[in-house]
Amino acid sequence: MHEAVQAVILGVLTGGVYALMASGQTLIFGVMKVVNLAQGALVILAAFLSHSLFTAWGVDPFLSVLIIAPLMFALGAAVQWLLLRPLHQDDAALLSLLVTFAVALGIEGALTVVYHTDYRTTRPAYVDRSWRIAGYQVGEVRLAAFALSLITLGGLWMLLSRTRFGRSVRATVQNPVAARLLGVETARVAALGFGLGAATAAAAGAVYGMVYSFNPNSHYDLISRLLSVVILGGLGSLGGTVVAALVMGVASSLVGALASPVWSDFSFFVVLLAVLLLRPQGLFGARLRGAL
Amino acid sequence: MRHPYRHASSSRALFAAVAATAVLVACSSSAKPSSSASSHAPLKIGISLSLTGDFSDPGKSAERGYRLWADTVNAKGGILGRKVQLSIVDDTSSPTQVVGNYQNLITKDHVDLTFGPFSSLLTIPASQVAKRYGYAFLEPAGGGPKVFAQHLHNLFFVQPAPVVKQGDVFADYILSLPAARRPKTAAYPALDDPFASPIADEVRTRLEAAGIKTVYQQIYPAEITDLTPVVSAMAAKKPDLVVGGTQADDAYRMVKAMVQLKWAPKLLYLSNGANDPHNFPGNVGASNVDGIFSSGDWFPSSNTYGNAGFLSAYTRKYGGTAGTIDSTSAEAYSCGQLLEEVAAKTGKVDNATLISALHTGSWQTLEGNLSWNADGAANSSYVLVQWISGKMLPVYPAGRAQHAPVIAALPWGG
Repeated sequence: MHEAVQAVILGVLTGGVYALMASGQTLIFGVMKVVNLAQGALVILAAFLSHSLFTAWGVDPFLSVLIIAPLMFALGAAVQWLLLRPLHQDDAALLSLLVTFAVALGIEGALTVVYHTDYRTTRPAYVDRSWRIAGYQVGEVRLAAFALSLITLGGLWMLLSRTRFGRSVRATVQNPVAARLLGVETARVAALGFGLGAATAAAAGAVYGMVYSFNPNSHYDLISRLLSVVILGGLGSLGGTVVAALVMGVASSLVGALASPVWSDFSFFVVLLAVLLLRPQGLFGARLRGAL
Repeated sequence: MRHPYRHASSSRALFAAVAATAVLVACSSSAKPSSSASSHAPLKIGISLSLTGDFSDPGKSAERGYRLWADTVNAKGGILGRKVQLSIVDDTSSPTQVVGNYQNLITKDHVDLTFGPFSSLLTIPASQVAKRYGYAFLEPAGGGPKVFAQHLHNLFFVQPAPVVKQGDVFADYILSLPAARRPKTAAYPALDDPFASPIADEVRTRLEAAGIKTVYQQIYPAEITDLTPVVSAMAAKKPDLVVGGTQADDAYRMVKAMVQLKWAPKLLYLSNGANDPHNFPGNVGASNVDGIFSSGDWFPSSNTYGNAGFLSAYTRKYGGTAGTIDSTSAEAYSCGQLLEEVAAKTGKVDNATLISALHTGSWQTLEGNLSWNADGAANSSYVLVQWISGKMLPVYPAGRAQHAPVIAALPWGG
């Protein structure tokens, strides 16, 4: 019983890390409907930048987010403006897959040249700390990641639902022609939205770098999980992202601890398939017409 | 009477015969080691290395080792008066490209000798090319079981033993302890990798035979990013000893998971990852390394043949500190040491002499004293190392040890 409870706690905390990593993907893929295969690479890029700031100048990884986020925003906006915007509208969904995969490979290549393929971990003094609560261990960094994911996703929700920019994003996705007729600069909005999604990778990367060891190839392990979390949660549902990440974390952790780690990742995909068979729009997704 | 035509015809026939013979000789010599090079011609050694692609980092480490050896031996006047000239070409980490590279090195560049590439994946096809043309194949980094399953008489793996034997030295150490001090139970988590899980299996077989009970055994896939659930399940079984069949990343993750859970066994051995003096402390924390065992073929503090000279020459040529030297560089350098020794002992430096000489007796290298079985697997053993006071030190066997093994609680143990 102790083993199972500890596994659930670990799963919830891991789910928090994944929710944070999936927050940008929720905006780009879930809301803007761009299949973004570069999000994992953006997270790893941010992890390297955070690691460099920490090792070179002692910048705390959580504080490094304030420096890295604007850079990631600029990179994301540039990718959208220069590479995705020119795509023909009819083929955009399919071609964005290839373009963002190329971006991921480009980031991986650049990181390999600069940092080589050795694994690294960002290790501030508090990285090993954990609380013992009723006989169970709760890692401080993972708990902070959980809180950060809730803050990030809450911020995105506020942005999308309570601001003019958010309405512009949703209008651009649902009907770009009508949005343009109403005065929305759709190209600019799309670039800003993509940039915003990329900026969230700063927080995700800083946390990933502390919790896991990473090298330039690590994004391959991430991307399928991030896409799956967004789909399971329901495209465009920010709350669904958190729930889906928790389902993934707990399912993987329980199976890894109680059965076999060989099946831990597969268990999540079983859940994903089961949910999609019964509820194709995902756990919290709405059936929308007109979405791209 | 001389018949002009006949004379001419005879001349043409003679010319044709000479030309045909020359072509045949040329063809023949193009597929044979050029042992007839003049005594002062450079000694050309062909090597294919992964300078780009997946293995580019260790490939470049091997290149540094080879080039350092060539510089060192040339500074001493070369081998038997011949300067060493390395022909190093990039195989892009591709098992297809490596075949073409060795074909070209042997048949077009007419190198005198060949040294091996990085990884078993590339060594297997490369060694077959060398075999076809009768070349000796001293290789620093292909120690997987399939390399030796080829039964190639010309191949020599320049490390102490096949990779799957890496953990045997730890089993030797445990079994050398008095029965009262031996662990009673053990856990064997291992990465699903041909260079990881077989190592743990070998140790488990020996420890089980000695009565140490296995309480946990688990193979985990390379894709698993978080080993905390595995460690949590293992901790519930309360093993005295954990033998991890690990590579780099999963070794870091395993230690980090133990630290997070504040659980530590009495003894912890990790086959790889923990034997990296540069990256291991950086990934798991310098304060978390003490007490952890690992094993390997070469370490900066090794007291093996030529190691002091190697360390000073390396840091002089490439900078950095001894602690940052990749063992692959030492393995590559050792290939050159063997060549020097065979030449000094036999007065020859051709492939046939190399093959027959290396199959006889024992030879000194940075990797220790090496001898080989018929399939090219070295008959020695790895060195057991342990992190003690923040330093990774050889602790077993006694002949290679610089410190006695220490059995003490791991730093994060609850």
